[in-house]
Amino acid sequence: MKQAIYGLILYIFLILPPVANLLESIMIIHMHMQMPLLVFSGFLMGRYVITRFSSFFEKWNSNGIPGILLFVIIWSYWMVPRAMDEALTLQSVEMFKFISLPFLAGIPLRDSWKKLHAIGKDILFIYFISMLILMAWIYIGADDQICNNYLIVEQKTLGWGSLALAACVLLYLLQLLFTDQSEYQ
Amino acid sequence: MEQPLKETIRQNPKKILGVNPDDAKVALAYLSVSFVSLLIGGILGLLQGLERAGLMQLPSWLNYYQVLTAHGVLLLLVFTATFTIGYQYANLSHSFGGLLAKVRKLAWIGFGLMIIGVVMVATMIILNEASVLYTFYPPLAAHPVFYIGLVFVVLGIWSCCFGVFINYRHWRKNHPGQPTPILAFFAMGVFVLWLFASVGVTIEVLTLIPWSMGIIETTNVMVGRTLFWWFGHTLVNIWYLVATSAWYVIVPKIIGGHHFKEKLIRLVVILLVILNIPGGFHHQIIDPAISIPIKYLHVFMSLAIAVPSLMTAFAMFAVFERTGRKLGGKGLFGWLKKLPWGDVRFLAPMIAMISFIPGGAGGIVNTSNQLNQVIHNTMWVVGHFHVTVGMSVVMTFFGICYWLIPYLAKRVLTPKMSKIGVIQTIIWTIGMTIMAGSMHIAGLFGDPRRTSDTSYGGHEIAASWMSYELIFGIGATFLMIAVIIQVYAVFNMMFFAPKGHTEFPVAEPEEGEEPAPMWTERWGLWIVLLLAVVAMAYVVPIADMIMNAPPGSPPIKTW
Repeated sequence: MKQAIYGLILYIFLILPPVANLLESIMIIHMHMQMPLLVFSGFLMGRYVITRFSSFFEKWNSNGIPGILLFVIIWSYWMVPRAMDEALTLQSVEMFKFISLPFLAGIPLRDSWKKLHAIGKDILFIYFISMLILMAWIYIGADDQICNNYLIVEQKTLGWGSLALAACVLLYLLQLLFTDQSEYQ
Repeated sequence: MEQPLKETIRQNPKKILGVNPDDAKVALAYLSVSFVSLLIGGILGLLQGLERAGLMQLPSWLNYYQVLTAHGVLLLLVFTATFTIGYQYANLSHSFGGLLAKVRKLAWIGFGLMIIGVVMVATMIILNEASVLYTFYPPLAAHPVFYIGLVFVVLGIWSCCFGVFINYRHWRKNHPGQPTPILAFFAMGVFVLWLFASVGVTIEVLTLIPWSMGIIETTNVMVGRTLFWWFGHTLVNIWYLVATSAWYVIVPKIIGGHHFKEKLIRLVVILLVILNIPGGFHHQIIDPAISIPIKYLHVFMSLAIAVPSLMTAFAMFAVFERTGRKLGGKGLFGWLKKLPWGDVRFLAPMIAMISFIPGGAGGIVNTSNQLNQVIHNTMWVVGHFHVTVGMSVVMTFFGICYWLIPYLAKRVLTPKMSKIGVIQTIIWTIGMTIMAGSMHIAGLFGDPRRTSDTSYGGHEIAASWMSYELIFGIGATFLMIAVIIQVYAVFNMMFFAPKGHTEFPVAEPEEGEEPAPMWTERWGLWIVLLLAVVAMAYVVPIADMIMNAPPGSPPIKTW
């Protein structure tokens, strides 16, 4: 249960206005640090939620696929440049971000991950890699400003950062494929 | 119960046969180079101390900046690197029951490459073609041979890195379901960090070679500095990781105790490996081309190292207290008296650990934006790294010598040599305390670093630094005496001490302790996390520095 408390503390810390403002002031930190940390806080809080409402998760997410689909939808939505822009301009969208990422992405991810078959996990990794590469292509390639709130140089930085993360996930996937994971159980 | 001889031979041949002579040669070769570097670097340090104190004038053919560059390169790069490799390879050989033949070959190749590199670098410094200080970032430009020499040094280190990875993998494959011995786990952490730390500096040096040759006209100074500190700060933490391997695993055995929970020790290694590299940004707090929010976020990255450091402090003192009480220590602090203060193998690393308290506190000052503005270009910084490196790290290294070298040379540590070691430790502690202490104070009063003459035409503020500078000179003299004793002790133990068997002191876990969890062995995951942290930390400033780059700087030779 400690994990859930740490998750809640992290969540409260992240939604504090000065912290949120600082993290949102840099485009790549907004997308690749604040958002994953919100998901992570939900992931930690999931420990409590999943035990507390086990029958709900068993009923609606018995094989992990609905949960992971919800995660993918929420995550993909927040990768859209306009969504980031609106989070900065409209208070309601900002609130939606703080609710959707931990509770509709973090918690379902935790519940689904252990239920998914190896193939499902591989598909998720491939989704991550292709999503990051697509973003790299868009953000590095676009000559126009995609987000009203961020400069072009920040946009390109986000593109390069996405490419680097895609490389990291690819590397992780490759080492999963080429090493015997039962060694580490 | 005593293990039957047959099983001991099968499972732990070292216990009967001692070190493999071929492996010992590798380690001793590296350690010899290390202590020769210490001697030369130490002499150069003394020269600087005396010059700064105004007690002597260097001859016209040897200037302050040449001496400063050579002192830094020899001690911070060569001494520490060769010691680390010698010690870690000895640990690996001991933990795995001998190195693989191909790994030994890689270590020798590394040795050759590093020697070639160091000779090239040193020659250029002696010829006064490379007085660029040990940080060697642009716009100061050295002779191309200096940079090419550095490439050889890095290739040597990489060769040793791959040696460790190959041997580690080989052991893992042959011991399914078993966690690797803890010292080997440390070695893996050290060399993983080294490999990825050196990527930054390699890119920097490879861009500086054509620039110093005149093939390209300008270089991006900010990118160069950033890539240097990617490496420079990580190097500091590599030494620290090497020192902690002795604190966690060796020191408890010497005091007659057990090591702390292996799960925590491994977690500390993993955290140090993952979080380390972006710490380099606090060296650039006053650099103009990095935005304030990024600097602010990087304070967290630098201070993240405090988490494993505090875990270490807690674990070590828990081990000391537990052992002291087991030995009969009573009361709140009575257990302290039971620790073997007269044993140099304990005394030196213990003082090293204690000095990490002021060292760490000073580090927090350096990392904090506002405080850093006060001390950045002053002697404070020099004092800081003389405490952290010169005490926390180097005194641990010295303490290691007193069992490692006799063990490798199949000789013994005589009581007389142990006493010499204690005296050396005391002289070194006095020297470093007064020198680094006065450097800190002089720095607070504004005494600049990296400057040969700070009289400023006799200005009264500059004059107020003089008394502290005299103390630098006195401290440096103590240190030189300690260096001579240490180098004598090392070579005496290597070649002249009585023959015999010395134990390799590896602490065992407490009884009933669970084995280390296997998830800690997921090096693939740790490396990917390290890379992701580096990518996130560096992409913003580097993209900014490249996309909003100024015209760039031509090579500048100020001497």
